[in-house]
Amino acid sequence: MNTGPYSDVMVQKYLEEEFVPLKSQCFWDKRTELMKQFYIAWTPTLLVHDTAGQEHHRIVGFVPSDDFLAHLGLGKGKIFFNHFRFAEAIAQFHAIVERHPNAGVIPETIFFLGVAEYWKTHDAKALRRTYDTLTVKYPMSEWARRATPYAQIPS
Amino acid sequence: MPEITWERDFNVAMEKAKKADKPIFHDFWFDG
Repeated sequence: MNTGPYSDVMVQKYLEEEFVPLKSQCFWDKRTELMKQFYIAWTPTLLVHDTAGQEHHRIVGFVPSDDFLAHLGLGKGKIFFNHFRFAEAIAQFHAIVERHPNAGVIPETIFFLGVAEYWKTHDAKALRRTYDTLTVKYPMSEWARRATPYAQIPS
Repeated sequence: MPEITWERDFNVAMEKAKKADKPIFHDFWFDG
């Protein structure tokens, strides 16, 4: 039976259409090989793997549906990003920001969006825009602080 | 209400992922 975010029809649809959903049961008295392989120390732990099984995104603890969907999208975007598929990463990150503007991962998504735009265009202004956006919209975010070096870039 | 079709084997999930060119969403859960 699907519970928590899995009871949300949007989550069900997104998982079925965009991912191969996989469940692994954990046993604390006798840790499984997968628990050891992926260093699982708490549940729920949710991973997004690429087709080779490499982990690209991790969520630890319960998240409500809108945050959950944004995390799934960010995981997909990070796979594109980490494979240097920047046009697809940019499209993915844009979609997350548009569809889940209040999700907790939005500052991180904006950061990666800016870096992906820089890699695609080699225009440093993309990094400066990232700094400007994060400091205005999410000034308390760690991601705004991570973007601080880009304040030196002329706008 | 539709149900999610969960794979239970990591290697099978990887084979499915390669064939479908889709990422894997992996839920480590505890029954307790």
